[in-house]
Amino acid sequence: MANVVSQYESKPPPFGHEMRKCFSFDPEYINMNHGSYGSLPSPVAEAIKPYYALAEANPDLFHRFTSIDLIRDVRKRIAKFIGAAHTEEVVFVPNASHGLNTILRSFIWEEGDIISSCNTTYNSISRTAEYISDIPPHPEVVQFTLLFPTSHSEIIQNWRAYVRSLNEMRDQSAQKLGRRPKIVAIIDSIISVPGALLPWKEMVKICKEEDVWSVVDGAHSIGQELDLNLAEANPDFWVTNCHKWMYAKRGCALLYVPKRNQHIIKASFPTSHAYKKGGGSNFVEQFEWNGTIDFVPYISASCALDFRAWLGGEHVINDYCHRIALEGGKRLAQILGTEIIDQDQDFQFTLSMVNVAVPFPPTMSSAFEIDMAFRRKLLIKRKIYPAFFYHNGKWWIRCSAQIWSQVEDFEVLGQAILEASKEILEEFGDGTEKKTMGIEDKVEKVN
Amino acid sequence: MSSKKSIEPVALDQLLKKPHQFFQNRAPPRFGHEFLQYYSFNKGFLNLNNGSFGALPIVITDACNELTVWQEDNTDYYYRIGFIPPLIGVREQLARFVGASDVDEIVMTANTSTGMGLVLRNFLWKSGDIIIRFNTTYGTVYKTIQYIHDTNPDVEISQYELLFPTTREAILEGWQRHIHNVKRNAPQGSKIVAVVDSIVANPGASMPWKEMVRICKDAGVWAVVDGAHSVGQEPLDLAASGADFFVSSAHKWLNAKRGCAFIWFSKRSREIMLTTIPTSASYVSPGPDRPETNIISQFQYNGTIDYTPYLSVHYALQWREWIGGESAIHKYCNNLAREGGRRLAKIMDTQVMDPDGEFTLAMVNVVLPFPKDFSSSYDAAVASALTNKLLAQNMFAVTFYHRELWWTRVSAQIWNELSDFEILGNAFVSICGQIVIEHQNANIPPDSRAKSFHSYLEHPFRGAVACDPNDGLDCPRPVTATTVVPVGYHTHLASIRP
Repeated sequence: MANVVSQYESKPPPFGHEMRKCFSFDPEYINMNHGSYGSLPSPVAEAIKPYYALAEANPDLFHRFTSIDLIRDVRKRIAKFIGAAHTEEVVFVPNASHGLNTILRSFIWEEGDIISSCNTTYNSISRTAEYISDIPPHPEVVQFTLLFPTSHSEIIQNWRAYVRSLNEMRDQSAQKLGRRPKIVAIIDSIISVPGALLPWKEMVKICKEEDVWSVVDGAHSIGQELDLNLAEANPDFWVTNCHKWMYAKRGCALLYVPKRNQHIIKASFPTSHAYKKGGGSNFVEQFEWNGTIDFVPYISASCALDFRAWLGGEHVINDYCHRIALEGGKRLAQILGTEIIDQDQDFQFTLSMVNVAVPFPPTMSSAFEIDMAFRRKLLIKRKIYPAFFYHNGKWWIRCSAQIWSQVEDFEVLGQAILEASKEILEEFGDGTEKKTMGIEDKVEKVN
Repeated sequence: MSSKKSIEPVALDQLLKKPHQFFQNRAPPRFGHEFLQYYSFNKGFLNLNNGSFGALPIVITDACNELTVWQEDNTDYYYRIGFIPPLIGVREQLARFVGASDVDEIVMTANTSTGMGLVLRNFLWKSGDIIIRFNTTYGTVYKTIQYIHDTNPDVEISQYELLFPTTREAILEGWQRHIHNVKRNAPQGSKIVAVVDSIVANPGASMPWKEMVRICKDAGVWAVVDGAHSVGQEPLDLAASGADFFVSSAHKWLNAKRGCAFIWFSKRSREIMLTTIPTSASYVSPGPDRPETNIISQFQYNGTIDYTPYLSVHYALQWREWIGGESAIHKYCNNLAREGGRRLAKIMDTQVMDPDGEFTLAMVNVVLPFPKDFSSSYDAAVASALTNKLLAQNMFAVTFYHRELWWTRVSAQIWNELSDFEILGNAFVSICGQIVIEHQNANIPPDSRAKSFHSYLEHPFRGAVACDPNDGLDCPRPVTATTVVPVGYHTHLASIRP
């Protein structure tokens, strides 16, 4: 069996295009959208092969013993990494949506309860809130509005006012119902689209002050947000995808539930053989076995951390990505003649993702077909692709800067977008006159 | 702008030709030990437990590695466009394979526990509703039903006791009576949902599930079939079965990569399914915009997962065709299960649970050679010891407790031969003898139960499973923690020590 550690004996390639050696991208493809699905480094793909071999060498030994022990060790390492007070507060789930659904479905919803989401909440999580509201007893979904351009201080101010207004709603319900309903707020640590870091810790604090549950969607956090310290930030619940910015194999995510809240999690999904009424007391055990899956992605989280340590560690990785995001974003905005969404003078919203406006007139349609057109023209035709989204009256591009990125990638992207958006304007019109939409696209919206 | 080759959506077969060539260039070996070279088991590992976790043939492992390469080549293309045609292709293949009448009666999911959870949690439970389960219902499903009752206290559980040995006739008579009684006592307007195993896990027993489903349907009872062990072990014709839902794991007997199962639903039952878990971005609230459920598009994408296990079905079906086809596989495994069970019983001087074979497909259950008074109550330490000692001898078969006896459930697979059963039989004779002696020497009170791992640290039964005496369950559960290091076992923990 190969010595896993030996592949890290030589020095890593420098950041930039040479780092593509550590990934297995199509050489013609310029990957500017790591943020959606992550990317698996080749050394990590190699490092996990022994675990796949173990799984087939003796499936019973692996699934009854070895994988369980290994994953416990990985949880210990990751718990330290995110600053959890106890390993027992961290369990693995397949992806962030799964973790967030586990939390939201665990609450015992009652009439008068409020689920707070945001216009920028990730699409599947908004739908989850909607579904919960669709079934009895129909808790109400209330939405916080967050529009860029804005600033962290403005968001904090608005959030405080908003949460207070939720409490007023609750007080009114309480009078009618004779009991005090609960408010559960879904807060992004880093919004997906636009890719923007929020002052989530302050927002969590405000929730605490106002007796509101804080459910943090940290899908983009681990590996992108430095120096996580969950014991300090103290959210009620927190979820993140290790297969995004941390380089683990898909699907690998964390569900963090501080001990004080584990009684809320009634059951894992699917329910474990270890389930017992009241939950809480055997939280970890309930998440250790939920049916046969490929357990190697959970183990890969540790291999990913080895890779990142070899590159120089979290600060080295993120300082590079952040610098490229800012420089690249500015260059892109220059080429397109538009602006970066993050107008804050300190770029408080920007970590490794940067959002730049598409050069369309303000009348441009917001139709989904435009997104599909960009997909055809960029992803398929030109083999370069950032995420597209519509926000506050404009179309935007979200670029992910990664260790293989260079500013010139943004220049190539800029040219591609100039061409593509001109084509789209011709095909769809500028929105001022009624023009029939082009090709009917049955491809489902995924992000 | 440099001229790059643009990406065209391609069929999976065109993209990944290797397995095609593999299957074209050689003839398969005969069933039996000749097949071991096509699997990756440890040298000398005697695998008599395909039933729990399946086993992935090397050629399919290689194909899956290619699928991973494809996934990393252009991940955005894969997740936004690329995976969709091959996934629909797999669903079409499965639909034909299991006798669905339409591709949109089949959706993919991670495993049977998840599929059953998705179905049961989608029902809108109301006061007075009744869920029927069995004492033999698989642990995760058993507890899913418990969870539904705990969170909807006015939803009742009605448990049917299934005790072996028995006959198919007796089961059907008992089931008819049970359904009749439940129906008679059910409140007006309530719904009754029966969860029936097609093949029970412990014991490994093929049930007259189609007849049981018919009894349900005649009484207006929902029939949700836990078919975890079915696909690949028995021929399926689901549209004709009359069931409302059928969930099965392709990674058990169908040779798919782990993390692959499907849910089959009739068109009528599909309306029950409102949402996937997690809810998909494509979920639409019921209303005039969405007169029917859009569950099919929800299942296509509802959170980032690795689609490789689902796509591996494409290769699994080719593999099975190549090795001889369904009938040949079923015939070999069934004959071996019966013969092997008889041989095992002879060596251990015990008996086969199902001597007439009416419950036997590819799994057979045989009593373990413990003294009669030894088995009077369930002891988790004995369960743990059996598992540990088998692994220490580089072999495995499931062991379980049922009706005051310890049993083994043995899976007969295409790599097994009769001599495997002989080896297992002799191993059990020595293992059970050891356990009896160790048990005596440890002075464990006869009615004790292992409450936790720590309480047994001072005696040889390490790794005991926590067992709640009020549970009364015989369901299989993974043993947690062990210090056993069997022959051939090797660790690779260097990279993950914090």
